[in-house]
Amino acid sequence: MGKVILEVKDLKTKYVTRFKESVYAVDGVSLQIEEGKSLGVAGESGCGKSTLALSLMGYYFAPLHYISGDIIIDGKNISGMKPDEVRKNVLGREVAYIPQAAMNALNPTQKVIKFVEDVVRAHDKSMSKKDIYDMAVQRFEVLGLPKEVLSKYSVELSGGMKQRTVIAISTIKSPKVLIADEPSSALDVTSQKMVIKMMRELMEKGYIKAMIFITHELPLLYNVTDDIMVMYAGQIIERGTAHEMVFDPVHPYSKGLMGSIIVPEAGTRDVKLEAIPGTPPNLKKPPPGCRFAARCKYKIPTCEHGERSPRIFDNNRMHRCIHSVEYLQERYKNEREAGSKGKVSETGAE
Amino acid sequence: MRGYRRYYGKKLLWYLVTLFVALALNFFLPRLMPGDPIAAMVSQAMGDGAVIDAEAIRAVELQFIERFGLDQPLPMQFLIYLRNVVRGDFGTSFLQHPRPVSDIIGESITWTLALQLPAIIVGWILGNSLGAIAAYLRKGFDKGMMPVLMFVSNVPAFGLAIVMLWLFAVNLGWFPVGGGFAFDMVPHFSWDFMMSVLRHYQLPFWTMVFITIGGQAIGMRSMSIYELNADYVKYARFLGIKDSKIIKYVFRNAMLPQITGLAFALGAMVGGNIVAETVFSYPGIGITLLSSIRGGDYPVISAATLIITIMILLANLFIEIIYGLLDPRIKAAQQDV
Repeated sequence: MGKVILEVKDLKTKYVTRFKESVYAVDGVSLQIEEGKSLGVAGESGCGKSTLALSLMGYYFAPLHYISGDIIIDGKNISGMKPDEVRKNVLGREVAYIPQAAMNALNPTQKVIKFVEDVVRAHDKSMSKKDIYDMAVQRFEVLGLPKEVLSKYSVELSGGMKQRTVIAISTIKSPKVLIADEPSSALDVTSQKMVIKMMRELMEKGYIKAMIFITHELPLLYNVTDDIMVMYAGQIIERGTAHEMVFDPVHPYSKGLMGSIIVPEAGTRDVKLEAIPGTPPNLKKPPPGCRFAARCKYKIPTCEHGERSPRIFDNNRMHRCIHSVEYLQERYKNEREAGSKGKVSETGAE
Repeated sequence: MRGYRRYYGKKLLWYLVTLFVALALNFFLPRLMPGDPIAAMVSQAMGDGAVIDAEAIRAVELQFIERFGLDQPLPMQFLIYLRNVVRGDFGTSFLQHPRPVSDIIGESITWTLALQLPAIIVGWILGNSLGAIAAYLRKGFDKGMMPVLMFVSNVPAFGLAIVMLWLFAVNLGWFPVGGGFAFDMVPHFSWDFMMSVLRHYQLPFWTMVFITIGGQAIGMRSMSIYELNADYVKYARFLGIKDSKIIKYVFRNAMLPQITGLAFALGAMVGGNIVAETVFSYPGIGITLLSSIRGGDYPVISAATLIITIMILLANLFIEIIYGLLDPRIKAAQQDV
C-alpha cells in the first residue's frame, strides 16, 4: 500500500439557505487516496458530488458551512486551520480545484497571464513578472498548450482550450491533490480526450500526486480513474475499483446507475436501458434508514429504519445496503436470466 | 484591425444619417409651433404699443421678415440654415435681437456645464461606490441602504429641487433662493463674485448629485451582486487569491454597464436639467431653451437642440470606443462584423 496523500474522515458540511434552513449535502464522507492514484466520484445530479468537491478544499464561504470531520493532506490536517491560512498555504499548493463550468471560470476582462500572475503572487509575492511568465510558458509547453494562450483573453479561446488553460492554471503550483468537478462534461469528444490526456500527464509527470474526478459519465470514469465511489444523497453508498464498480456493482443504486448507461459496443444494443425511477431525496430532511429506500426495488420494511453503516467486503470494497452481497448478486443474476428469456422486468419502486 | 475599421466606418455613417435627421427635426419642429415671433419682436422694437401707425409697423415687420429670410419657402430656409450651420453661423436671436445665437448658447452652456459636469461625476462616483459597498457588505448596510436609494432614485427632480429650496433657502435661509449669482452683481472676476456663485451653486449642485446617486447605486449594486456570484469569483477564491484582489475583478466588470450610464448622463447634460434649472432660476441652457420655446425664438431653439443632439451622439460614439477598449468581449464582437 502506497503512501496516503489524501484522507478524509467523516466529513460533514451543509448549505444554509436564506431562510436559515440547513441542507446536509455532504453527510459523513470518508475516503482515502494513495500516492499516484485517482478516485472517481459518480452519482446523479443533486447527490452532493460538487459539494463534496468544494468541501474537500477546506475553504468554506456562504452558503456552504463546515460541520465536522477531518481532511488530512499528506499528513497535515487542514480542517482546523484558519481560513486565511488555508487560503495562503493550502489552496493551489496542497489542493487545487477545477470547476464544473470552466467556460466562465476565467475573468472575461483579464488576460490569461495576468490571472496566472495573481494566482502565483497569492502564494509567493517575491516572484517577478518575468519569472512567472517563464514558468507559465514552460508549464504550458509541457502540457501541450501554445504559449500564445497566455496573452489572450478568455473569450478568444475555444471551449476545449479554455478548459485546458484552466487545468494548467489550477496546477501551476504543483498541488498534491487535484479535485476536478466534471472537467470534461461540457466538451465535445475530441476536446474531452485532450482534457483526459492532460490530466493523465499531470499525474505521470508528477505535477500532482493524487486526483479526484467527479462526473456523471461512468464510462469516462472507468477509463480514467483507479477507484470509483458512488455517492447518493450526501453519502458514499458504494466503493470499489473501477473495474469492479462497472462490471460488478453491488448496491442497487450503483447497479441502477450502471444499467442506465448507453454502451455503444456490439451485442449490447439490445440490452434494455433502465432508468432509476424517482429523484434523490430532499437533503433538508434526509429520510431515516437507507436514503435510497424510496426508489429501491429490493426494499424490505427494515430498510427505512436505523442508520445504514458501511459494510466492508471483498478486501476493501464497501457498500451500504441492508442486503448481503450474496443476496444482491443472486437477485441480479436471476433478473439477467429472466431478461434474456424475453421477459421485460418491471422497473419501479414497489 | 480591418474588421475594426469597417465596424467604425459603418457606425460613423449611421451617426451622420442620425445627425442629418436630427438637424431636419431641429429646424422644422420649432417652426411648426403656433405663435408669431415677428409680431413679438416688432412690438418690442417699437416700444410696446407706443407706435400705432399700422403702416410703420408693417414696414418694420417686413424688414425683419426679410432679414431672417422668413419670406422664403420652408425647404429653402432649411437649405440656408444648413449652409449657415456648416459655416458655424447660427444666426441671430429673435428675442434678444441682434445678439448672435452662438453668443447666447455659449454663455448659458458654460453655466450648465459648470453645474452639471461636476454634479454628474460626483454623483456617479458616490452612487457607484455606495452600490458596490452595499453589494459587498450585504446584511444590515444593504438592508438599510436599499430603501433609501430606491426612494432617492424615484424622487422626481423638480420635487427634490422644491423640497431643497423650501428647506435650505426659504426655511433655514442657508442658501439663496435662486439665480447663478447675486442679482445685484455683474459677472466679473473677483472674490465676492466667486463666493456669490459658490453659494448659489450649492442647492442645484446637491440636488443633481442626489438624483444621480440613487439610480447609479441601484444599478451598481445589482451588477456587483451578479458578478460576485460569477464562476470566475469562486474559481479565483479556490486558487487562493485574496478577496481584496477578487473584489477588484468584480467591481471592474460590474462597472462596465455603469459607464454607459455615465456617458448618457454626460451627453444629456448639455440639455440641462430644465426642471432643476427652472426651480433654481439657474442661468443655464435649460432656461434659455425654455424661454426661447416660449418666445418662438427659432434660431436659439434649433441651435440648442442641435448641440444636445451632437453631444448625445458623441457620448454614444465615446461609449462604443471606450467599451471596445475596456471589454475584450465587445472588442471581439466589433472585430467580427
